[in-house]
Amino acid sequence: MSGLCLLVTLPFAAAQGSKAPKDDPAFIKKAALTIDQHVATWYRRQKLEVPAVTDDATFMRRSFLVAIGRIPTAEEARAFLEISEAGKRQQLVDYLLDSPGYSSHLANWTFDLLRLADGKIGSTANNEPYRNWVRNAVADNMPWDQFVHQMISAEGDGWDPKSAAVGYYTRDRGMPLDNLANSMRIFLGSRMECSQCHDDPFDGPDRHDFYELAAFTHGQGTVRQDLMRPLWDEMVKGNGLRSPEYGMAQVIWDRVYGMSLSGGGAGRIELPSDYQYRDGKPGDIIGAKTPFGKGVRMSDKKDDNDGRAKLADWFTSKTGTQFAGNIANRLWKRVMGKAVYEPADIYVAPAKTNYPELMTYLEQLMMELQYDQRAFQKVLLSTRTYQFATNPDTSVVDGGDDFHGRKITRLNSEQIWDSLITLAGGDPDKKPRRTLDDRIFVGGKPVLVGKKTMTQLSKEVLELKSEGEVRAYFNKFVADIKSGGGGGGGDSMMMNAVKTYNKDAQVRASELPSPAPRDHLLYLFGQSDREVVDASSVEPNVGQVLSLMNGFVQRQLVNNPNAHLYKSLEGASTDAEKIRRLYIAILSRPPSEEEMGWMLDEVKASKQNGYRNIVSSLVMSSEFLFLQ
Amino acid sequence: MNPSDFNSHDEFTRRRFMSNAARLYLGVHLFPMFGNSVASAAPASAGASASSQAKYIIYLYMNGGMSHLDTFDPKPKKKDVMGPMEAIPTKADGIFVGQHLPKTAAIMDKVTVINSMNSTQGAHEQGAYIMHTSYPMRGTIKHPSLGSWVLKLGDRINKEIPGFVAIDTSADHSGGGFFGAKYSAAPIGNASEGLQDSKRPGEVPKEDFDRRLALADKLNQKFHSKYPNADVKAYEDLYREAIRLMNSKDLKAFDLSQETQATRELYGSGRFAQGCMLARRLIEHDVRFVEVQLGGWDTHYDNFTAIEGRCKEFDQAYAALISDLDKRGKLKETLVVVATEFGRSPAINVEHKNGRDHHPSAFSCLLAGGGVKGGYKHGESDATGSKVKDKLVTVQDFNATIAQALGLPWNMIVMSPSTRPFKIADKGTPVMDVFA
Repeated sequence: MSGLCLLVTLPFAAAQGSKAPKDDPAFIKKAALTIDQHVATWYRRQKLEVPAVTDDATFMRRSFLVAIGRIPTAEEARAFLEISEAGKRQQLVDYLLDSPGYSSHLANWTFDLLRLADGKIGSTANNEPYRNWVRNAVADNMPWDQFVHQMISAEGDGWDPKSAAVGYYTRDRGMPLDNLANSMRIFLGSRMECSQCHDDPFDGPDRHDFYELAAFTHGQGTVRQDLMRPLWDEMVKGNGLRSPEYGMAQVIWDRVYGMSLSGGGAGRIELPSDYQYRDGKPGDIIGAKTPFGKGVRMSDKKDDNDGRAKLADWFTSKTGTQFAGNIANRLWKRVMGKAVYEPADIYVAPAKTNYPELMTYLEQLMMELQYDQRAFQKVLLSTRTYQFATNPDTSVVDGGDDFHGRKITRLNSEQIWDSLITLAGGDPDKKPRRTLDDRIFVGGKPVLVGKKTMTQLSKEVLELKSEGEVRAYFNKFVADIKSGGGGGGGDSMMMNAVKTYNKDAQVRASELPSPAPRDHLLYLFGQSDREVVDASSVEPNVGQVLSLMNGFVQRQLVNNPNAHLYKSLEGASTDAEKIRRLYIAILSRPPSEEEMGWMLDEVKASKQNGYRNIVSSLVMSSEFLFLQ
Repeated sequence: MNPSDFNSHDEFTRRRFMSNAARLYLGVHLFPMFGNSVASAAPASAGASASSQAKYIIYLYMNGGMSHLDTFDPKPKKKDVMGPMEAIPTKADGIFVGQHLPKTAAIMDKVTVINSMNSTQGAHEQGAYIMHTSYPMRGTIKHPSLGSWVLKLGDRINKEIPGFVAIDTSADHSGGGFFGAKYSAAPIGNASEGLQDSKRPGEVPKEDFDRRLALADKLNQKFHSKYPNADVKAYEDLYREAIRLMNSKDLKAFDLSQETQATRELYGSGRFAQGCMLARRLIEHDVRFVEVQLGGWDTHYDNFTAIEGRCKEFDQAYAALISDLDKRGKLKETLVVVATEFGRSPAINVEHKNGRDHHPSAFSCLLAGGGVKGGYKHGESDATGSKVKDKLVTVQDFNATIAQALGLPWNMIVMSPSTRPFKIADKGTPVMDVFA
């Protein structure tokens, strides 16, 4: 699919032997060095001093939070701090990127970018299989270009794992134009949401351009839902009171048909009734055309069936280096704290950034690594630039990173949550991941458990070819539910072990409902509501402080004798050793001499309660909340 | 001395106090525009005194873009615009509302409807942002939200509890922006539970609690001196605020369990209803600005079913809030706002199961109480609700009107830390016509 990327990588692969650059440690190392050289050149030019590299403890905490989204467990922290090996920083990076926490943390980031919420107000259709598809793609390290291509070109059955990416569109059913504007923004850094309604007064995209682009994805219907229309109308009309059959019909209407996506993109579209410019009239049919890059067009004379696939090709391989540059910059921001150019939502060609050579290199690197997100992040995490000490001063360069040391930022809400549950229960990545919940729910209760899954139901229903078949199938479905009832059958062959977590579970944020409900700690600390792109917030508010003083922290950590962090005290014989261990468990560093003095005084004054008071104050400290 | 002298004198001392206070505590500079324009913000007419009665704002935000056609700007004669939706008469002569708002219809004699709203932003994120801040989104600065502005210009009344509370509200609509965390809202996720974690856990003795805070304070001071960063500092300040709050006798403002059965029945049991009830309790305890959100108005798909559902959530709660405030004598000093980012298209999209798309060029917002007229309609959209026909009100004008109702200097310039000038309503001017 991505011809460009193959062309670039082939000669390289040949030169390096059999290993592709993304799998070759030597290549990764060299790439990291190249980045550092570009950064160093920039410092020389600006006549700035190169920042110092941070200490081991800060490096460790930063790397855990950046790469896997949580603080180290006490055991992990001690292990790292106690070894004195030259290559231990690189080893830590390798360890983190291979751990399951990596995909958990990246899943949160991806959910924010895609606005992936579990459900939708006013519909029983949901995003369950789509969420699962995204989560698996992240866990399998699916290359970014394939990931995007599969979503943009998606078509078919919403429950089939092969086509569950249709959720990318069905999530926005009824608002295809917003969906498209978001695609341009998140995958290409091109802002077009304004041109949905009007021309850009400053020479940007105009409305006609936007509709030409929309033509590619036009026609996002459902797969043969009309076959069920008469039956559904009877259900809705015949009986204002919701009969049990209504609930069963709803499963098929909303959660099978409603989650399917028909057609492949018509390639042409009508101009809207309020079209206001001279280059077209309301109701005119226009053919698809891409606004920049290598041009792709479709006919305005007939409906086609491959518009979305054509658009996916264009996104991933016909927009020059913009597709690569956008994701490279977004990942740079994720790892380094600030993007090379900001805002990351508006693409800037390398020549116009503050660091043309660096940005040019990053775009090439992304392609050479074949859009492997993990490998790209490994390069960044292996740079010296990443290891720069924290700088309290704000940036001196407009519109991007000045590499003047790392900017101090508050942990995002998922990092805080995932760190707190690490303190409460130990390594959260030992708990099983949430799995696809493909049970059939009628009126909130699972039915035909062990007999039929949503995936099977969906496959069977979407194969029906006539209204009669749909009726017959529905009647059988109703009869099966009524006779089979809810209780679990004994057919273990069919039993999928469904693993889900409710909001109170102490598991990774990535496994909880998305978004977490509004009485959850995740909301309080600014988790994205997943309605708009990247809506997460790290703004402080008084509720957060109350929660740290009186809420979850007190119940689950401070006053819970079984909390994991107290286990790290086992075998410690002196007060000083216990205090040291608590510091390492919570702040990932040993206490300073001054701090040790304060804490020893506290233990002396408060005896056994002293340790709780210490734990409480350490978690309430700003140092815990901020990434250095 | 005539009343207008008195008025401007008041403004002057107030201004001087504010700019001093701002320099002392906030590190930003306030200064009025040239000449006496601040005084002219509230022209010394009969309208001025009457129009600055409000002390509190309850800001009900309909997230997603509330269809004006199906709620407060129906077009009964245009069947193709209305689809299956009917309009019903209200207690105010000549004002009609959508059929799913019967209780609201009965209190429309207390409400001003603005049917000539117009926004420049047609996407949710940008639309909600400009409604809340008066400014278009920029990549380079975060503007304070309306509640933060009200605290900045008008200060808190009750210093012990937050002056700005956001119930069921997106975090990016309730931030302090460049004013900082001190001006951001205290968030409430679930109104029935009130302000979470505002009490010391029972099992923690007072002495231990204090020791913890003292220790944390030591650690924080050290950290802040190492990283003198605004966000880091914000947490240090928030601890003080949180303690004050925990010790306040007004904490019960957040406790809905103290409401009577009769009041609960009046509001209804929905989530939004709980938010409205809590908002009323909060303003009774001198909280300046309370925002409550009701989401789900993005009715691209199956508009008419969705609207019915939204109206069910809204109707009883809103009508209850207005009549409850009125009964308690609080409506005069409380401006109740109903706002949204845009309306919905007159065209019904059959392909999307009779959906309606975004429509920023004409939509409706409501004002009630706080010195505004009742049973009054300001401005008009055209025959199909497509464009504004008369008395266009911009988002900024709308926000200036809110500031005016509170008697705040809507044209006062406040400098951001980056020394750029901002006003609560940007270039907006108040719609004086809506004031009684």
